[in-house]
Amino acid sequence: MTGADMVLEALEREGVEYVFGYPGGANLPLYQHLHEHPKLKHILVRHEQGAAHMADGYARASGRPGVVFATSGPGALNLVTGLCTAYMDSVPMVAITGQVPSTVVGRDAFQESDVIGATSSVTKHSYLVTRIDQLPRVIHEAFHIATTGRPGPVLIDICRDVQQADADRVTPDGVDIAGYRLNGHVDLDGARQAAVALAAAERPVILAGHGVLLSHAEPQLLELAEGAATPVGTTLLGIGAFPVKHPLSLHMTGFMGTGWNLKAVQNADVLMMVGMRVDDRVTAKLADFAPNVKTFIHVDIDGSEMGKNVRPHIELVADAKAALAAMLPHVAALNPGRAAWLQQIDRWREEHPLRYRKSNGRLQPQDVLIDMYGRARSEAIVVADVGQNQIWAALWWNYDRPGLFINSGGAGTMGFALPAAIGAKFARPDVPVWCVAGEGGFVMTAQELSVAVEHQLDVKIVLLNNFSLGMVRQFQDDFYGGVRSQVDLTHMPDFVKLAEAYGLPALRVEKLEDVGPSFDAAERTKGPFLIDFRIDPEANVYPIVPIGKSLNEFWEAPES
Amino acid sequence: MTSPSGGSPLNAPPGGEDKIRVLSVEVEDGPNTLTKVSGAIRRRGFHVRGISVGPSRKPGRLRITLQVDHGHAEADQVRKQLERLVEVVDVEDVTADEIHSREMVMATVAAAELDGLLRHGAKVLATGPKGTTVEFTGERDEVGAFVDELHRHGIVDVARSGPVVMRRTA
Repeated sequence: MTGADMVLEALEREGVEYVFGYPGGANLPLYQHLHEHPKLKHILVRHEQGAAHMADGYARASGRPGVVFATSGPGALNLVTGLCTAYMDSVPMVAITGQVPSTVVGRDAFQESDVIGATSSVTKHSYLVTRIDQLPRVIHEAFHIATTGRPGPVLIDICRDVQQADADRVTPDGVDIAGYRLNGHVDLDGARQAAVALAAAERPVILAGHGVLLSHAEPQLLELAEGAATPVGTTLLGIGAFPVKHPLSLHMTGFMGTGWNLKAVQNADVLMMVGMRVDDRVTAKLADFAPNVKTFIHVDIDGSEMGKNVRPHIELVADAKAALAAMLPHVAALNPGRAAWLQQIDRWREEHPLRYRKSNGRLQPQDVLIDMYGRARSEAIVVADVGQNQIWAALWWNYDRPGLFINSGGAGTMGFALPAAIGAKFARPDVPVWCVAGEGGFVMTAQELSVAVEHQLDVKIVLLNNFSLGMVRQFQDDFYGGVRSQVDLTHMPDFVKLAEAYGLPALRVEKLEDVGPSFDAAERTKGPFLIDFRIDPEANVYPIVPIGKSLNEFWEAPES
Repeated sequence: MTSPSGGSPLNAPPGGEDKIRVLSVEVEDGPNTLTKVSGAIRRRGFHVRGISVGPSRKPGRLRITLQVDHGHAEADQVRKQLERLVEVVDVEDVTADEIHSREMVMATVAAAELDGLLRHGAKVLATGPKGTTVEFTGERDEVGAFVDELHRHGIVDVARSGPVVMRRTA
């Protein structure tokens, strides 16, 4: 069999359903044989970045690895942003790129680029395959590495002559990678210490990140929080790990987190951080992060996260679910009383509610999102882009289940939402998918509308159009001397006409009373639908911590 | 690690020695390995001060000895970031351990008078019309002192290795 067949058969064996890709000179053998493998459904994207984000959205919505094909040189390099997005957010993905024939590697051949070199900082692992006998093992290993431990993207760069070579069929059995460590084991004594510290604390707080969702540890988190009477906040990517309406919920943390969350973090005496990187968006000014904490507890499956940003007193390098489960017996036995702390948090929740300006007669983004979420309830997947739209979408819904909010947290990739929403819809055809984006990010990958139309995907696009790069404009207004520089997006396409040109229906909405009817129309229409909401161009994200300041110094929305 | 003597061009500048970690790293022998290791060091803001690569006891594996400045990151981050690499089989941070550490320097000097170098223990490799080529192996500060001595003999050409280390067993 050919190397190409070996690749395609291996994908079938790994249970791959969809491949998001784009053909070109160096991966033509794969495409020549693709039709002989009908179990693989190939989605032809319009730009390779779209393929990577679709695979990413597919993976986040399904829990299965997303698979991408691209050709050498520019094709592979167009994946870099998408790989980075998946890498930063620990999303399982396998990208298979064509490379020039092994005989001309290194000779600056047509469409040759050093893809391993260009992607090694944004992949969990990568392989250059120059011999056909390497293929079966490499593909099997790639899926194993992408999906286990802390998940991430793995790239396989396959020379074209390898795809065309012939060899006997080999089925790899098991994997044995000497340098690949899986931290499955929980240090039971550490877990007991963590539970005791949490239970004995006067003012404990738990923060939950993406790792909780990746390990499906939500039930253990809920049981631990209730057992230890400990309030729980989530990171942006941890949204859904803990029900927002729960009395112990602190909602979102970080420099655009809720006021009551930040108050709790800054006054906590024990802080347990689970499945998170504790990055600068969570800590704001690191030296002043959680200054009253006597005991930091950090649980993460990646040992390099321990002490990378905050040095924990108790560290558990383990899967979140296993670690939390190991704490549970010790927490239940101690049964702490925590009334004063919880009452204080309730007061902060009342003193620092989420709010927005409603009185200036212009359409507010929250008006749009509250209506949308009322329809989505907790049964739809919402995929947000990056910027103000992302934070509004994160804050203005009481997520009570995991897996319903998808966004690019670590990389902050503009243009993520549309292709990721398309990928999510392929993964979950049974669930409504809403794509929330600003007009700036939307046009970065808008060409993928063709994919939504071609497959008649029921993706509803909620464009929060403020004719500017809103988050950048807000930062310039507040933190960079009020100089509005290169943020004006007055000259943009007429999005209704743009949608029509792509072949999907669309509406423009400028008034509050038209919001509901426009969503009614979107929901009545099968297939993709776009609504261009002309929102208040001065609308801001609140709360927000000024750049370089501590979490204590968050600004809130002016009272309306 | 003690501070190297002098501040001559072939010696590390004084100061910053407490930021240096010494690691013994066992890796898979593959075309991408060295790029991956050096890439991980670079993008975390570390800086390689010395490196030597050679075969290890096990077939298909290499042993890399690294001296790395960890910059403003925590000291244990160097080991942890290297451990994340699939190509890296084992990392030992031997900075605080009792180790044998050897570096090597070869130089051609113009001077005919070699007593100063020979007193240090230099071995003469060859003598020719452009000068005499000598070899010296020792601990880091011994090599540093030898380099200072070389400067007094008029260096024509010189090459200095990174360290090779092994834990002391007795």
